[in-house]
Amino acid sequence: MGQKMIEASELGFTYADSEEGIREISFEIYEGEVILLTGNSGCGKSTLLKCLNGLIPEVTEGELNGHIYVLGKDREGMKMHELNREIGSVFQNPRSQFFTDNTTAELVFPMENYGYSKEEMDRHLQKLTEDFSLQGLLDRSVYELSSGERQMVALASSLTMDQKVLLFDEPSANLDYGNAMKLGCLIREMKQKGMTVIVSDHRFYYLNGIIDRVFFMESGHLRIYGSEEQFKQSGYHSRSFDIFHLDVPFRENAGSDEEVLSVEDVSYKNILKDINFNLRKGETTVIVGANGAGKTTLAKLMCRSIKPDHGKIRMKGIPFFIMQDPDYQLFGTSVHNELTLVKKDEESIKRYLEHFGLYEYRHTHPFDLSGGQKQRLQIAMAMLCDKEVILFDEPTSGLDVSSMLKVSAEIIHLSRNAATVVISHDYEFIRHVADRIVYLKNGSIAEDFRLNKENLSLLNGIFHEMQEEVK
Amino acid sequence: MKSFKLNPIVLILINILAPSLYIFINGTYLQPVLAVFCGALLLLLGYYRRFVIYLILYAVLYGLYYGCLYLGMQFIALFFLVFTQSFPCFMLASILISRYSSAQLLSALEDLHLPRILVVAATITLKYIPTFSREFRYIKESMRLRGIAFTIRKPIASFRYFVAPQLFRCAALAEEVTAAGMVKGIDAPMRRSSYYEQRFRITDVLVIMVFTLGVAGAAIWARR
Repeated sequence: MGQKMIEASELGFTYADSEEGIREISFEIYEGEVILLTGNSGCGKSTLLKCLNGLIPEVTEGELNGHIYVLGKDREGMKMHELNREIGSVFQNPRSQFFTDNTTAELVFPMENYGYSKEEMDRHLQKLTEDFSLQGLLDRSVYELSSGERQMVALASSLTMDQKVLLFDEPSANLDYGNAMKLGCLIREMKQKGMTVIVSDHRFYYLNGIIDRVFFMESGHLRIYGSEEQFKQSGYHSRSFDIFHLDVPFRENAGSDEEVLSVEDVSYKNILKDINFNLRKGETTVIVGANGAGKTTLAKLMCRSIKPDHGKIRMKGIPFFIMQDPDYQLFGTSVHNELTLVKKDEESIKRYLEHFGLYEYRHTHPFDLSGGQKQRLQIAMAMLCDKEVILFDEPTSGLDVSSMLKVSAEIIHLSRNAATVVISHDYEFIRHVADRIVYLKNGSIAEDFRLNKENLSLLNGIFHEMQEEVK
Repeated sequence: MKSFKLNPIVLILINILAPSLYIFINGTYLQPVLAVFCGALLLLLGYYRRFVIYLILYAVLYGLYYGCLYLGMQFIALFFLVFTQSFPCFMLASILISRYSSAQLLSALEDLHLPRILVVAATITLKYIPTFSREFRYIKESMRLRGIAFTIRKPIASFRYFVAPQLFRCAALAEEVTAAGMVKGIDAPMRRSSYYEQRFRITDVLVIMVFTLGVAGAAIWARR
């Protein structure tokens, strides 16, 4: 066993404005270990990470107890800048990862803060560029990067100070399958170099075979599994390690004959070429494809946010679009008001509020709901709206497995009266909801098939292909 | 002439000074001087398209001002006058935001030997403006998808739909940006270095000299 990197003794934290937090946690983490930190939403994973990188108590307010030692030094006596020389952090939200808006500026930003000379910065930048293959990514706006590229820059910039410990907060939430697998390989390399990596995530297929220990959180308490094997035997959705051998029944649903949307020979710039497909009521279609394949552009075309250069999209009105980030989509003054903005039908509103467990929150402002509640409110809005096409953009990114299963059930419920279209890279979720798969590759439809026992190998093939592409 | 280099400190200084000068010098004289100066700076830095847009906007604002005066609406005319007078400063601010990254602004502000906390706050505020415009477009689009139109018939409700999400985003963003800076050593006590060369060049001195001469000219013109 290597050097002791982090030690926590009886660590506890209670937020100033909520019940959540962590209680009496003790552990030791050693050099070269890869730790998976997991548990359901709200279990305290993020809180623990924030305690480790110092954002608790520096930025987040609350009551902190117990001790953390980083490389033998008491955290209490360390300033943020001292702590973060040892511990690098990669945040979950791609938007909040960056302080600047230019990739090179972001990479040198920590070095500037620590007063490095221009020569030292150049040398370090050169090394980071080689280590993380950033050649084509330097001096670009962070907004024009794909999510995989962005993750790479975020990772490199959090290791500029040669940190020995790296924290990841849900890195797979915004990555497609190929990029997540690539991240897994990088973590394996870091481990081989003797780095300590702590990954907090709900999905862990990309870490299969690399994890040393699993820290499982439940209502603020920590349980430690001594090995990956031991965790796999615990029964906690551990089948998610091997996503291609999931035992999920096929839906065998052909949809109705009522066609509600048809896309005919649609092309847009050099992003999409000759796209053709129809959607029928009662059917759930999942659009898959690597980042940058044109999935979002296709969604924008269906929503008439942009016009096709060529071809036609036939549909009554526009689809109901459920965005990934609900904060952009909620405009009401209360949960009840939000639903009346969709349709003034008191009876249905009451029924849906009860169905989604939101009735007691009906007077609450939508922004005061939790992430899961906001998403349920969005789905309630979709049920109420009477639109024929409902479009979801990555509805399960950042959801734990049980929440993902709940969303799947709601989408299936929703598809009884509408055609639902889901953009997703979450394999497990796709297996639960999809009646049909449309695979976008380089701007064209490469595959379009019904998901059943015979065609499962096609879906698996697509995922393997996406993995090969990023290698 | 995108290659023309200008130290952001020059722009920051002028942007702080210009509005305060209206206290000492009559706006009728100061304003044209500032407008010509800022317009010339835009051209010098290669923002030709923006120059034309600003020229048109400026003319429209002036037109509105005189139009209101002509119609006897003094109060509204005053509103347009204030807007026209601050217009040159908007031009400068737009260069500051679009030309320099937050890292460059941070280094420039550091050179002024201001306290670090003030420097960080100013940088975050300046960089929030482009973020705001991105979020603005996003929310507008999302309102269209929800079928909540921005209508004149219900101005207050429309405005509320628009502003509430922005405010919530603003609070969340402030916290995220702070966290992103904190984990990257923004609080380090050592003197911050800069990857981007920010030397004071002869061109910077010339720009400041022209500005000073212009202001002095406006002051003399006002006294005559």
